[in-house]
Amino acid sequence: MMIEALIGVTLLSAFVVMLAPDRVAGKLAAGLSLLPVAGSLWMFGQFDGSGNALFESGTLAFETMTRWITIGPYTLNWHVGIDGISMPLVVLSTILTTLAIMSAWTPIDERESQFYALMLFMEASLLGVFTALDFFVWFVFWEFVLVPMYFLIGIWGGPRRKYAAIKFFVYTNVASLVMFIGFMALVFGLDVNTMDMPAIAQAIEAGAFTTTYGLGEETLKVVAFFAMFFGFAVKVPTVPLHTWLPDAHVQAPTPASVMLAGVLLKMGTYALLRFNFTMLPGVASDYAVLIAALAVVSVIYGAMLALAQQDLKRIVAYSSVSSMGYVILGLVAYNVYGLGGATFQMVAHGLISGLMFMCVGVIYNTAHTRMVGDLSGIADKMPVTAAVFVAAAFGYMGLPLMAGFAGELFIFLGGFSAEFAYAQLFTALAMFGIVIVAGYLLFAMQRVLFGPFSADTDYDIVPASTHDTVPIVTLVLLVIVLGTVPELFYGMIQDAVTPMVDAMASAVAPVFGGELL
Amino acid sequence: MVPMEYYLLLSAAVFCIGVFGVLTRRSALMFLMSVELMLNAAGINLVAFSWFHGNLSGQAFTLFVMALAAAEVAVGLGIILTLYRNFDDIDVTNATTMRW
Amino acid sequence: MAGALDFTPAIPLLPFASFLVALLAGYFAPKLLPKGGAIPGIVATAGSLVLSVWTFFAVSQGDYLSETLYTWVVGQDTFSLHFGVLVDPLAAMMLVIVSLVAFLVHVFSLGYMNDEGETGLPRYYAGLGLFTFSMLAFVVADNLLMAFMFFELVGLCSYLLIGFHFREQGPPSAAKKAFLVTRFGDYFFLIGVVAVFATFGTARFVATGDGAHAFPHMAEQALAAAGGEGTMPGPVADFLDVVGMSAQNWFSVVGLLVLGGVVGKSAQFPLHTWLPDAMEGPTPVSALIHAATMVAAGVYLVARMYGFYALLPTVLAIIALVGGFTALFAATMGVVKDELKQVLAYSTISQYGYMMLGLGTGGYIAATFHLMTHAFFKALLFLGAGSVIIAMHHNEDMWDMGGLREKMPVTYYTFLSGSLALAGIVPFAGFWSKDEILYEALIYGAGESPILLVAYAMGLLAVFFTGFYTFRMVFLTFHGDARSETAKDPHGVGWNVKFPLVVLGILAATVGLVNMTPVAKFTGAHIEFLKDWLAGTEGTAFSNLGYEHYHHLLVDFAGYGAADIAPYVPAAISLALALGGAGLAWVLYNVDEPVEHTEKLGGAKTVLYNNYYQDEYQVWLAEGVTLPLARAADAFDQGVVDGVVNGISSVSLFSGSRIRRIQSGVVSHYAAMLTLGLVALLVVFGVTGGWF
Repeated sequence: MMIEALIGVTLLSAFVVMLAPDRVAGKLAAGLSLLPVAGSLWMFGQFDGSGNALFESGTLAFETMTRWITIGPYTLNWHVGIDGISMPLVVLSTILTTLAIMSAWTPIDERESQFYALMLFMEASLLGVFTALDFFVWFVFWEFVLVPMYFLIGIWGGPRRKYAAIKFFVYTNVASLVMFIGFMALVFGLDVNTMDMPAIAQAIEAGAFTTTYGLGEETLKVVAFFAMFFGFAVKVPTVPLHTWLPDAHVQAPTPASVMLAGVLLKMGTYALLRFNFTMLPGVASDYAVLIAALAVVSVIYGAMLALAQQDLKRIVAYSSVSSMGYVILGLVAYNVYGLGGATFQMVAHGLISGLMFMCVGVIYNTAHTRMVGDLSGIADKMPVTAAVFVAAAFGYMGLPLMAGFAGELFIFLGGFSAEFAYAQLFTALAMFGIVIVAGYLLFAMQRVLFGPFSADTDYDIVPASTHDTVPIVTLVLLVIVLGTVPELFYGMIQDAVTPMVDAMASAVAPVFGGELL
Repeated sequence: MVPMEYYLLLSAAVFCIGVFGVLTRRSALMFLMSVELMLNAAGINLVAFSWFHGNLSGQAFTLFVMALAAAEVAVGLGIILTLYRNFDDIDVTNATTMRW
Repeated sequence: MAGALDFTPAIPLLPFASFLVALLAGYFAPKLLPKGGAIPGIVATAGSLVLSVWTFFAVSQGDYLSETLYTWVVGQDTFSLHFGVLVDPLAAMMLVIVSLVAFLVHVFSLGYMNDEGETGLPRYYAGLGLFTFSMLAFVVADNLLMAFMFFELVGLCSYLLIGFHFREQGPPSAAKKAFLVTRFGDYFFLIGVVAVFATFGTARFVATGDGAHAFPHMAEQALAAAGGEGTMPGPVADFLDVVGMSAQNWFSVVGLLVLGGVVGKSAQFPLHTWLPDAMEGPTPVSALIHAATMVAAGVYLVARMYGFYALLPTVLAIIALVGGFTALFAATMGVVKDELKQVLAYSTISQYGYMMLGLGTGGYIAATFHLMTHAFFKALLFLGAGSVIIAMHHNEDMWDMGGLREKMPVTYYTFLSGSLALAGIVPFAGFWSKDEILYEALIYGAGESPILLVAYAMGLLAVFFTGFYTFRMVFLTFHGDARSETAKDPHGVGWNVKFPLVVLGILAATVGLVNMTPVAKFTGAHIEFLKDWLAGTEGTAFSNLGYEHYHHLLVDFAGYGAADIAPYVPAAISLALALGGAGLAWVLYNVDEPVEHTEKLGGAKTVLYNNYYQDEYQVWLAEGVTLPLARAADAFDQGVVDGVVNGISSVSLFSGSRIRRIQSGVVSHYAAMLTLGLVALLVVFGVTGGWF
């Protein structure tokens, strides 16, 4: 019942905050959001799951399964549970929400109680997405996430907030529709009478198709795979489906950007991992070269776009496109380091991109501009913020002993030993992203943070207040801890992805025959 | 004994008069009256078939339709009054504020 | 009783502790931090030095160490990643060098930073502490991944320290360039690391214990198997199938990839451009970067995995040629520079070129020997330059100096000792080590690998330039008449500047005596101590890390063979060249009123002064190619990719705006449409239903 309690408490907090007066809403929300943090950390401590949630061999932690609704021949269950892939993401969501709420205290000064209530509502939905194991429940949460984000951008956003909010909503919703059709086509073709994801996964593996709409099993799988891939790739986002992201990020208020980059994007890769790569590994391996090429293009093209930007938030937004490309590469590599690294990178990138957005936000709070050309040498005036910014930027560049390096290294290790054609070449190309990312972040830092002080703004540049620096310092510490002790998460992640690799290995003739060291 | 076809022809004629009224008249009052005609045309049909099949539910329905028509007139007249208050006229082609 | 090696992990961790102290106390309680963090730093590096020396003696007793300290990632069904400590003679030697130089740099910083009233000292000492930690941890790394990780951290520290004066325009730019250029090299290095894991399943340098494998040894087995002896290790064979290359070719690719990082960090052509700019950092930092840490890291890495490189003749030849070329190329640029630290910067590039030349030509001992002597004399020269800079009130232009010899004798004589070592004048340290490198290049070149003779020729020519620019620098700075007011009345320096200078001055003069190969060959005396030190012990797991083993690999796999040439003839040639260069400088610049004779070089000077336009083309690559490309990508993204998205939305909006016209608001129209619809339905049903 822990998961229900977690989601319930968060939802309840959202209602309480909504009714609270604006004056206290921020602090109340931060205080209440510590409850899910404590809950998720407790669950992390008590985590006793093993294996992958979708495999028969997997044991879930905190699992509940109750019959809920019956429609025609189909039974919808309330089925939630946590395995090694979702546990880190649950912890990430709760911690990041609390910190994002704290980072909202300074910039948000109207309709505060509604703002914080929406943040908490979004957290509850995200927890649902990462724990639900029944497709129906999962899809409801998946769509629920969009609603608060739409309002967060549309009400508290920048000058073009309406455009950005509508673009975000419509783009991702159309993608969801395509994904939904793809998945449903698969489900209706299968001999199942439930929307239960493990049951569906096992049915697909067993090849229990009753109809394939005259397409043949393989074609159906390919069609479903790409419909779902399209749906999730928009969320990730993968080039060329990424253009909603920079608009949404630039217009969104900082805390919403933090959540968007930190957790919402991970929904896409999480879903890719859960649906496409767990349920249809055969298609994933058949089209590995294509997907890997897409990943490489995302990495390099996203980084090149970031290089051309002048707005700090746009830089970070495009670099997210680049970083999420690594995740796709890790997934397609389909070995323990690849899949595990992809999952680890989701968490690492969640923390680091959240951190970057918060740093930019702290600068924006006082300077009221984010343009690289408007600011210079602000390290002089905001030493702590500048120090954290430097640490965050190096984290983003993949400095060893910070979480980003671990994630990227695992993905590269996985990618380089992957078995699809030209895997080594693709990986080496994608790795060039680490040079470009260093380029644009170093250029931006040199111009904004260092050099003689000047600011083309009407506002005084003053040091950030304590409640602004606490979240960013906390995140830097988390990033370092996770980079130094990746086993915290990586152990359970490996545990959850190994069955996938084994299943693939038994399906495809192994190339690596030799003894592993 | 009047054959069935005559009832149907009558009903169709009344209905067509109603449609013609709705399409050509601009006064809301005429609209209301035309709608009444169309309703009654349906009523004639129901009664005719009820008699023809020896099944009374058609006639029961017609009673309901008449009650409904009365209620509709009440609501319709209310709308017409509001229309007049807002547009100083009961010409339906003037009241286009709800287009696109 | 606990042995010295039990404390080895503390050698890097002590400076890390000083980093934490300087960082935390500097932020929360700056008043409590003695000397802005200098004292914790000095204590920590002194502790590291003591432990390093202790470790050194333990190693000299044959007590080696290879131990996993911390498993970073426990692989399930795959390889694990770990941190470990490897202490062998090479590492022990390097530990002493690094901790000694770091210690002296900390002491010197008291004079250079504290006494000069710099602000932000805790940040400075935190940076130094982290720098020392990273380098020491790199030195003891027992696998390639750990080496890479600390290699990168070294890069971070260089960024932080070069950009120490962040309020000015130049240092942040130089710091960025240093990180970015070395990052470019590290990109290849990281591919190399990943490739090593993918190929061998391990990145250990040496295998001890059951079931452990070391990748150089596996490579050796694989190549032996390719030559028809023994069997190829399973994972290697599998991976070679995947990449579809022969073992020799693939290993060469991997070796070159790792070499990318080396070229970047050790400032070899063409990635040397960051180093002269890095002079923007405080001078003690330059000393640390050039002598013992960042730049040395690259060469040390090649020495560390020499068991791998010794198998690959192509890579060795490339290393030798890059090294020889860099040595000559940088030396020519050093000839025309006006600023004291710039001359030293180019000399650093040149000297590391020699080390690479040594490694490439099979002179493992010679290269590590030069690494050691260079660490001492280059630290000395930089600290001496720092002393001069303090005296000159932070003016670095040599044309404003002159006549400092009488005013600052301690600095002068120690600097002279370092210069003699750098120029390679007998019996100072640099002579023995540089000469040995050239000798090795000559005998292997004249033996089986004639391509090495090209590298030898370049190295030999660079000797002349080295002698010239070194003494040009000495004469301009210390001799002649004072050419500016500050030079007439220089600022005095304290004990904390003189003490490191004296220590290093003595070392620069004497440390060469540990491996006097020509003397040994001439007298037959057994005095090649360094060679014995690095020879490696037979019969233990560590024998694969010794020179004897490397030599065997060079002969068996790389096809190296030595020609029989007596060592004193080449030694005499290189000494004569060095003296020639120094003599030319004497004639031209040891006068009361020196003039810029380099002007006579005309166009050549412009080219040299502008560093052969190396910076220009790299800046052009960044700003003239990459940036416009990025802008084009952005325009494409905004126009085409987002254009399609917005286009789809425009089409929907446009068609919506047309279709909505049906909603005219006139009730009669709706009624007409209803009726029409009904009629249409009737017609359709009629036609399909067969009424007509």
